[in-house]
Amino acid sequence: MSERIVIDPITRIEGHLRVEVEIQDGKVVDAYSSGTMVRLLEEIVKGRDPRDIWAYTSRACGVCTTVHSLSSVRAVEDALDIIVPPNAELVRNLMFCAQYLQDHVVHFYHLHALDWVDIVNALKADPEQASQIARSISNYPKSSPRYFSDLQKRLTSFVDSGQLGIFANGYWGHKAYKLPAEINLIAVAHYLEALEWQKEIIKVHTIFGGKNPHPHYLVGGMACSVNINEVNAINAERLAHVGTLFKEAKRFIEQVYIPDVLAVAPYYLDWGAIGGGLENYMAYGDLPTNGVRDISSFKFPRGVIIGRNLSEVKDIDAKDEEQFKEFISHSWYAYSDGDQVGKFPWYGETKMNFTGPNPPYDQLNVEGKYSWVKTPRWNGYPMEVGPLARMLVGYASGRDEFKDIVDSTLQKLNVPVDALFSTLGRTAARALETQLVANWSMEFFDQLISNIKNGDERMANTERWDPETWPLEARGVGMTEAPRGALAHWIVIKDGKTDNYQLVVPSTWNSSPRDPEGQMSAYEASLIGTPVEDPEQPVEIIRTIHSFDPCMACAVH
Amino acid sequence: MTQTTTRMMKWDNMRRVYVYSVPTRIFHWLNVLAILTLILTGYVIGNPPALMSNKEASFGYWFGTIRFIHFVAAIIFVLNFIFRIYISFAGNKYENWRSFLPVSKRFWKSFWQALKLDIFQMKGKEMIIIGHNPLASFTYFILFIVFIFQIISGFGMYAAMSDKAIYQAFVWIVPLMGGDAAVRFWHHMATWFFVIFSMFHVYLVFYHDSVEGRGMLSSMAGGWKFFKKDIYLKKEN
Amino acid sequence: MTKQANTLYQEIRQKGYSRRDFMKFCSTMAAFIGIEAHGIGRVAHALETKPRPPVVWMHFQECTCCSESFIRSSHPIVADILLDNISLNYTETLQAASGHMAEKSLHDTITNHHGEYILLVEGSVPTGDQEYCCCIGGRSALDILKEVAEGAKAIIAWGSCASNGCVQAASPNPTSATPIHKIIKGKPIVKVPGCPPIGEVMAGVIVHVLTFDRLPELDSSGRPKAFYSRRIHDTCYRRPNYDAGLFVESFDDANAKKGYCLYKMGCRGPVTYNACGVTRWNNGVGFPIQAGHGCIGCSEANFWDNGPFYRHLASFPGFGIESTADKVGLVATGATAVAIAAHATLSTIRQRKNVQEKVDESKAEFEQN
Ligand code: HEM
Ligand code: HEM
Ligand code: NFV
Ligand code: SF4
Ligand code: SF4
Ligand code: F3S
Ligand SMILES: [Mg+2]
Repeated sequence: MSERIVIDPITRIEGHLRVEVEIQDGKVVDAYSSGTMVRLLEEIVKGRDPRDIWAYTSRACGVCTTVHSLSSVRAVEDALDIIVPPNAELVRNLMFCAQYLQDHVVHFYHLHALDWVDIVNALKADPEQASQIARSISNYPKSSPRYFSDLQKRLTSFVDSGQLGIFANGYWGHKAYKLPAEINLIAVAHYLEALEWQKEIIKVHTIFGGKNPHPHYLVGGMACSVNINEVNAINAERLAHVGTLFKEAKRFIEQVYIPDVLAVAPYYLDWGAIGGGLENYMAYGDLPTNGVRDISSFKFPRGVIIGRNLSEVKDIDAKDEEQFKEFISHSWYAYSDGDQVGKFPWYGETKMNFTGPNPPYDQLNVEGKYSWVKTPRWNGYPMEVGPLARMLVGYASGRDEFKDIVDSTLQKLNVPVDALFSTLGRTAARALETQLVANWSMEFFDQLISNIKNGDERMANTERWDPETWPLEARGVGMTEAPRGALAHWIVIKDGKTDNYQLVVPSTWNSSPRDPEGQMSAYEASLIGTPVEDPEQPVEIIRTIHSFDPCMACAVH
Repeated sequence: MTQTTTRMMKWDNMRRVYVYSVPTRIFHWLNVLAILTLILTGYVIGNPPALMSNKEASFGYWFGTIRFIHFVAAIIFVLNFIFRIYISFAGNKYENWRSFLPVSKRFWKSFWQALKLDIFQMKGKEMIIIGHNPLASFTYFILFIVFIFQIISGFGMYAAMSDKAIYQAFVWIVPLMGGDAAVRFWHHMATWFFVIFSMFHVYLVFYHDSVEGRGMLSSMAGGWKFFKKDIYLKKEN
Repeated sequence: MTKQANTLYQEIRQKGYSRRDFMKFCSTMAAFIGIEAHGIGRVAHALETKPRPPVVWMHFQECTCCSESFIRSSHPIVADILLDNISLNYTETLQAASGHMAEKSLHDTITNHHGEYILLVEGSVPTGDQEYCCCIGGRSALDILKEVAEGAKAIIAWGSCASNGCVQAASPNPTSATPIHKIIKGKPIVKVPGCPPIGEVMAGVIVHVLTFDRLPELDSSGRPKAFYSRRIHDTCYRRPNYDAGLFVESFDDANAKKGYCLYKMGCRGPVTYNACGVTRWNNGVGFPIQAGHGCIGCSEANFWDNGPFYRHLASFPGFGIESTADKVGLVATGATAVAIAAHATLSTIRQRKNVQEKVDESKAEFEQN
């Protein structure tokens, strides 16, 4: 007999995720993932000015803030055939990089780390030894024995206060925690350091977009005009600030994030064989160096890998109505022509059809509809998207940067390529791509400076700003790589208004319920076979789920 | 006899009536001036033209001045309106507040009659009214309500720029209408009401003057209207 | 684990901060919440003597950017204070425990600290027959909110979602998203609108409550006066350009490059109350207008339905997005002109007869004499 366990709320994610799993003989044999909150943004944006939609869709999520705005302005620019000036593309790239740097670091330390790091155990560490380890893995200056002993004192008094706050009722002491006390202590130190640091890098958004979360975008480019002789514009001071922020960020990634991942991983190499799940990976690619239309110029290449076959990368066409379909057979929606069909997003529909159970409930009816997340498919295949997919597509495309960093890491950890297809692989891929992004950010920054130096200060193309210049009807797709994976918005514009609008979001791909053929999506598939030591403390399940960095506000929207 | 003597003779037949006292006439023309100023400055506030470029802000204040004129005109407009309310209690019967209130049955009867005659140009008995005709009274009544709305919304917006109690007394309108954006929107919209009212009003004044020949047009200047003696006496008794 | 809870001051000292650091923090906070210099002593005293108050942070229909903004709060030890020196016992974004262990944290707090804890709410709540649109642990958000609010000492509604419903409540509000004050009555509720609010403003509100053990002074809409009593427009550094009538006419034009006023690009600064012009974002680095884009009014109720964003007035309700108030007004004016012209023509025709009659009449009179 199997046992059903329900984890709801899954915390340290964005949004409202519920997971129900069947456990048999200490292993997961079946799994269901459900998004339990809906807002229906796709209905709300209908009829509005296409130039405004970036603002509405950015509110899909404040964690991956900016990516929905980017997708949205790209969709409108695609529909209206607007080419943005190179500087705007570079500024968007820089904001993209800042987002990755912040989001991935916060994910690792504040959302994911506590699955691997036992905070209470850190109290037992020897600060002297912790310092030695820290110094052996990195040049990070805050590594003295005093630093660690002070921290430990703070921690002790915190625990002794009896008010554990956000750390209360964690699974401390669970057998699945394997790190030595000293590494636990280092990780806790960096939890706090990362919290301090993350609010710095996002200032890039403030400089170019006015604020973070939810910086302001503009159809046709960016609103932040460049004028190096004006205090009110992007000038030398503002640019220097951006440069410094990226330099500091790169240092943090190299001295803290990457060394920590490499220090923790060896204790959890068994997780290189758990949590693989789907065998298909998809990336839309991003970070254009020659405009969004030149896909070959992307730093992150585009493509699909089927069946973990790294010797072939398939092409994607987001306007091919056969390639992309969204299903709702297990989602609380209704399609006008029946719930078994799949719809290409330009023809997408988002009509609620809640079929229960009515709250309060103990279990979902997983035979029927059981989630607010729709189920997207590529040529009928379920796809995993995200850092792992990006790294694999880059690797399989034969890009040196990807090959070098992946191969050297596999070598350091002494694991085979297969270890990538796992919970550990996902978490490692996220760290590695953060390093790549940190490197690239400097290139984009230098390019922006050299454009301006050469007299190109253009930041927006307003030729098609006025709706009078638009065709009566237009359709577009805006694609990007959000931190959690491939993201695209599809728009239909009619008479100057948004006639239809559909978001197909990375977490939608990963967290969706089954399709009409019963195929699982990434979360569900990845849980199958996961060992669960104590169903009361399902830390293993949470590890794998967290390795995807779930964002449910995004997934449902 | 010459034509002149005919006219003279006709004059003997006429009775002139002092309808609009000096204060009312002052009110009227001050009001016209204030409202025209408010409409013009308000329009510019809503749609500022591109008058300058490549200037430094420190050397100009024209937009601020336009707003200042709007606010000065607004104060004049409000005080003048209060003055009119005073007249409506202290002034003659044609100026009385009662003449604007659409409450009595008689009012509505002649209202419909005026509508038929004046607006739809239907045939019917000529109407002889010494003060405002009920149709006009009614539009003034609506106009006064819009005055009040415009004042409340204007002061409500102004409250954000002043701590003075007089302005603060109007802040309640802001949350009531769902925020400053909504207040501004409706304040702007109401402006069009004034534009349209003025067009109708001025037209109808000229129209009545030319059709009835009772000196309607000049009444707001000199205060007098002119009626045949018999008619006047009948009306007054 | 039943030890007397530490005070903030002890907490700070144990973390290795000096008394000087602590006083510096107090004066930062005092400056935040607009206290004069002589009041700093009171801040310090309050923080020294109070144990960490329990706080729960609920997430409903939201995008978590309020949480994100909160952790951006910049003044050095604020992040530590808020993570460690209030006792944040429940927040789905950061807490270690999941599932029923997480629910236990919540349950323990609301039973053991009934009447003492502060409730922070991020997100709106679906109501009516649509409670099912937001469920946590199999219970509806509405159900949970009512239970958690019951024993709360005070409620802080974070962001536009909790204070006015925000984007999901924009027309047609398909999930019946409802802000907190429309659900919970009889409890003090502080609204901290903004999409999201500025991190330092969020921190400032919490510290105000912590320090003085009372809510900050609120305006008539329930927002702390300290941060929401000025319009962006009144604190905007581009204001001199507005007064001088110097406007950006099109994005990235010569005027934009000179930092002229964004009024004609639809800036909502003149109708938006927020601290962006003064406090600015992300430790004072900037705010939307400084980055060349107009304010979209993100702290105002209803701002999503006051669009389109690139015109300073909303489109006329019911007339589609291209209808400005002026277009509607112009059409009405045109119609008036046409009506007058028609009327004038008609009456001239009639009048010609009348005039003829009058002429005949006076002729007759003349002949009689
Ligand atoms: C017949 C009377 C009035 C008319 C036709 C009128 C018209 C206007 C118009 C068209 C605007 C521009 C709105 C926009 O597009 O943003 C405006 C703004 C304004 N009006 Fe009036 N208004 C009138 C009376 C008043 C009164 C009595 C006040 C009281 C103080 C007032 C105060 C304001 C204020 C504060 C603004 C906003 C100006 C700014 O922030 O720059 N108005 N008005
Ligand atoms: C050339 C322009 C104008 C002329 C010749 C004019 C003439 C007149 C006349 C003759 C009356 C008395 C009509 C009656 O007895 O019903 C009157 C009343 C009135 N007019 Fe005008 N008017 C002019 C413009 C305006 C404008 C622009 C406004 C305001 C928008 C205005 C507002 C009023 C009001 C409120 C009354 C009622 C006066 C009272 O009883 O206090 N007028 N006007
Ligand atoms: N899934 C997702 Fe997002 C991301 N990354 C967006 O597209 O998190 Ni909120
Ligand atoms: S108020 Fe805005 S920023 Fe905050 S949760 Fe809601 S949508 Fe996100
Ligand atoms: S930019 Fe906006 S807030 Fe600033 S002065 Fe102009 S209209 Fe006002
Ligand atoms: S858009 Fe929001 S962030 Fe401030 S400047 Fe306007 S209130
Ligand atoms: Mg969608």
